[in-house]
Amino acid sequence: MIRFDSLSEARPDSIDKVTGRAVYATDLDIPGMLHGHVVRSTAVHARIRALDVGAARAAPGVVDVLCGADVASLGCWGLVLKDRPILALDKVRYVGEPIAVVIADSAEAAENAAELVEVDYAALPRVPDSKAALAPGAALVHESHSPLEDFYFRGGARPIDGTNVFHRFLSEVGDVAAAEAAAAHVHEDHFSFPPVFHYALEPHTAIADFREDGLTIWSGAQSPAGVQKVVSRLFGLPLAKVRIVVPYVGGGFGGKASVKIEPLVAAASWKVRRPVRIAQSLSDSMLTCRRLGARITIRTAVDREGLILAKSADIVLDGGAYADTGSAVATKAANRIIGPYVIPNLRLEARAVYTNTVPGAAFRSIGGPQAVWAAECHMDNVAAAIGLSPVEFRLRNLAARGQRIRPDLRPLDMDMGELMGLVRQAMGAASAATGPDARGLALAASDPGIVAIGNALVRLKIDGSVLVAMASVEIGQGVHATMARIAAETLNQPFGSVTVLPTDTGTAPFDWGTGASRSTVIVGASVEAAALDAATQMLDLAAEALAQDRTALALVPGGIATPQGFRSFHEVFHLAYGVDSGEVIGRGALNPRSRGGALREAPLFWETAAGMAEIDVDEDTGAIRLRRYASAADVGRVINRVSAEGQDEGASVQGLGHTLFEALEFEDGQPVNASPVDYNIPTLDDVPDDFHTILVEHHDGPGPGGAKGMGEGAILPIAPAIANALFARYGVRVNDLPLTPEKVWRALRARS
Amino acid sequence: MLPAPFQLARPTELAEAIRLAAATEDSHFHAGGTELLMAMKLRLLRPELLVDLKRIAGLDRIAWAEDASVVIGALATHRQVEQDVIVRRHLPALAALCANVANVRVRSAGTLGGNLCFAEPHADPPTLLAALGARLRLVGPDGEREVAADAFILGEFETAREPAEIMTHITVPVPRGPVAYRRFRHGERPAVNAAVAWTMAADGVTIERARIVVGALGSRPQDVGLLERLLAGRRAGEAAEAVAQGLTDAVGEIEAMDDRHGGADYKRHLAGVLITRNIAEAAAQINGATP
Ligand SMILES: Cc1cc2nc3c(=O)[nH]c(=O)nc-3n(C[C@H](O)[C@H](O)[C@H](O)COP(=O)(O)OP(=O)(O)OC[C@H]3O[C@@H](n4cnc5c(N)ncnc54)[C@H](O)[C@@H]3O)c2cc1C
Repeated sequence: MIRFDSLSEARPDSIDKVTGRAVYATDLDIPGMLHGHVVRSTAVHARIRALDVGAARAAPGVVDVLCGADVASLGCWGLVLKDRPILALDKVRYVGEPIAVVIADSAEAAENAAELVEVDYAALPRVPDSKAALAPGAALVHESHSPLEDFYFRGGARPIDGTNVFHRFLSEVGDVAAAEAAAAHVHEDHFSFPPVFHYALEPHTAIADFREDGLTIWSGAQSPAGVQKVVSRLFGLPLAKVRIVVPYVGGGFGGKASVKIEPLVAAASWKVRRPVRIAQSLSDSMLTCRRLGARITIRTAVDREGLILAKSADIVLDGGAYADTGSAVATKAANRIIGPYVIPNLRLEARAVYTNTVPGAAFRSIGGPQAVWAAECHMDNVAAAIGLSPVEFRLRNLAARGQRIRPDLRPLDMDMGELMGLVRQAMGAASAATGPDARGLALAASDPGIVAIGNALVRLKIDGSVLVAMASVEIGQGVHATMARIAAETLNQPFGSVTVLPTDTGTAPFDWGTGASRSTVIVGASVEAAALDAATQMLDLAAEALAQDRTALALVPGGIATPQGFRSFHEVFHLAYGVDSGEVIGRGALNPRSRGGALREAPLFWETAAGMAEIDVDEDTGAIRLRRYASAADVGRVINRVSAEGQDEGASVQGLGHTLFEALEFEDGQPVNASPVDYNIPTLDDVPDDFHTILVEHHDGPGPGGAKGMGEGAILPIAPAIANALFARYGVRVNDLPLTPEKVWRALRARS
Repeated sequence: MLPAPFQLARPTELAEAIRLAAATEDSHFHAGGTELLMAMKLRLLRPELLVDLKRIAGLDRIAWAEDASVVIGALATHRQVEQDVIVRRHLPALAALCANVANVRVRSAGTLGGNLCFAEPHADPPTLLAALGARLRLVGPDGEREVAADAFILGEFETAREPAEIMTHITVPVPRGPVAYRRFRHGERPAVNAAVAWTMAADGVTIERARIVVGALGSRPQDVGLLERLLAGRRAGEAAEAVAQGLTDAVGEIEAMDDRHGGADYKRHLAGVLITRNIAEAAAQINGATP
């Protein structure tokens, strides 16, 4: 291991960011660039009777207006279902749906002219929420379904014809009915989870430049390959002619995963044949995507000893007006509701339904927070019903390392009991202020790490500097610095000698995307393999050039250690090629066939989290204050401690948002608080000083040095941990998030 | 999220600002812009002309006046009020209030006058200023006048100010007794707030006059007259008990809106909680002061 001085070890992106030099999509100015402003539907569900853009087109500074009719021939796009037009044509399905783009010399001119667009709507019956979506005779948000298979994820959506259900997942193990009949206790609960906004500080922004010889898009996208694939199909362009460039991204959390505004921006540029930029406001982004809300019925059967015999869950997810990746959210919710427990009989059903609201999307641990909210509150309810403590009930049912929680999922690669012990230990004795019972625990095991296809190139230069090309997006999590570190360690070169190229599909080999806690493992392993390949080539070249035994050589900073002493890379290249020039190019790739197929089974690794909360409640107002919190995760190996802890803490605090504050509200389909003025997220004041982050390292993951993925686990347990503390100390159970003071006050009042 | 086109005037004289505003049908004064620009960006407001008041000298001055009052320029920002030595010394409750309004960016730009003139119901200063008996100075085309703080806000986004009148300063008499202010919020703005100010008799323990004002929960700050009457002439030590007896009836009379900040019954209950806590704090101030 090499020692670095602290400055050269700092994340290069952090220096750009604190000095204000970091470039985001919104900072770019492409020569000849125009500005687009999106005209959005104000109707919940309606036919468009007429669209008049004449006045807008004639307004000062306006170059053109893109309408649904312009792009109708391009057809629909989607990731799991082809359900989405570039612009609404005959009908609108939610308030906020794009119906036109005014393209002008300046953003001001475009926005001013956008007000002149006139739309005549004929209202249709609304589907405001998931209950309405499933009601008999419900209006249909989409009249028919066109599912895609293996297009973005493995598998596809399983819609039900003639209904609003765009995906149904069912997993049955054993015989739940028989187990329930034989059980000592059967307990059922109902929970709900609100739609919430990602609240990345950078709203969706993209620039597209459509030319004769191809299309370039600059976008803060998490899945450049997904964007590339979708626009290449829409516009009939070869993949090699579509270049996606991703500058720094101001947060994504899944809200910039798959494909968002890029087809629209590309279509605008396609129409005017000039670069077009669309920079959304935060309010626009709140009308672009959000987490799927959920209604969950969960039932557990236990025997006399408190062993779980069966669990069943019926999960209904509100997918909004377009599917995006909502089918995967539903399937994952069903997987993630199992928990780290041994349960012989399971019946897990999840349905994702269309509603006339903002489209659902991936969000940090898709389906996880919804599922774990229900599962872990329910665990405490069952424990209370049978007279066991929450800890004892969990201990009796925990699955051990190596056990499978469902036959089709990889055996657990961690010890949940260890994590549970660590959070309890970190919290120590309860503080006198809150009393002994004001604590709640929650555990989670989730299945990330999808699509094990990754690629990387590592180029070692004659002067020992290194270039890494790969497609993981630097979204604030520090992935570029992580890749640099992996390359530096593998090549035994200083961290500061490695440069990671900005994300650009024109230079980076294919990667599926930045999400699902997969980058460090899948792309990291590809970088490691590429660096090893470069090292091998370099050592082979040196052995030949220096006429040395290959096994006597080793890479050292700037060159090669030989039995005769240090030889610089310069010297080796000079000797080998007769000139002081050249480089070696290492290639690394990972796919489901790698490592003898060992990566094929899902999940690639388990993402784990244990959380323990201590709260106090102002009983007069109902306000909950989180006093102390501990979070533990088994991450295999920590590569960058500051970033890793930041990911875990950030996930917890983001989860504190949906626990206490957040819900994107709709009233009969109308957004109520889709603006940063009315939508509240936690601030530093809400985070307790006493906050423990425990990262367990057993070096047993599939990533470099035994790393597992992380960053999505800690968002899972915080809501149920806080609700369980409320239940334990105050005897009230609030079943729907967020736990606002008013709800808690009403629950406390109903109790007395 | 850009405002519709508008004209901007930046006069340096008060009279000029008034003249400009009076001459244009749809004009607005601009102070910190924290409310105004947001409403303009959302295109809820489309003024033809903005008259910026920040270049008029002296409008943000904070000074001590001979009649034992503090005169706060309407253009003083929350942050100036929070950090001003005179305010801290004589009106600590107001300094503390301003220190907790919004976030540091809004506090650094937003002004006390702008807060009052905008009359967004979920606001803090109007409640406390009403309880303190503050007077607001307005200067317009027809001359100057003074309006009591508790008569200024008429309803949601509605005040006694005429369109071309400028609020120049806020005069706050230094209280002759304990003052307590509390608010409850879940999110950025207060859902309910309450202020208590007692004027003590010469003996130092008898409440000569009590002001109890609640705000944010209705369309404008409201006196809780029933409790004010109950407290007048009572000893500070008996205040808590007296208020406890009248509280249910008193909060029942409060006008409260059902909105995103909570149901009306919840907000009335919260008003009672805040009043009770304020009374305890006020009484403690007296106890602390008397040997
Ligand atoms: C995010 C956020 C959080 C907030 N939280 C709180 C809170 O917790 N509690 C609270 O009380 N307030 C809160 N506020 C409101 C804040 O106090 C006001 O935005 C601020 O004080 C307004 O002052 P300004 O100078 O920016 O007014 P401007 O926006 O400049 O003006 C507001 C209105 O008043 C008029 N006006 C301004 N000054 C004068 C004058 N001298 N004479 C005549 N008319 C005038 C303008 O024409 C305009 O109509 C919050 C605001 C924001 C944006």
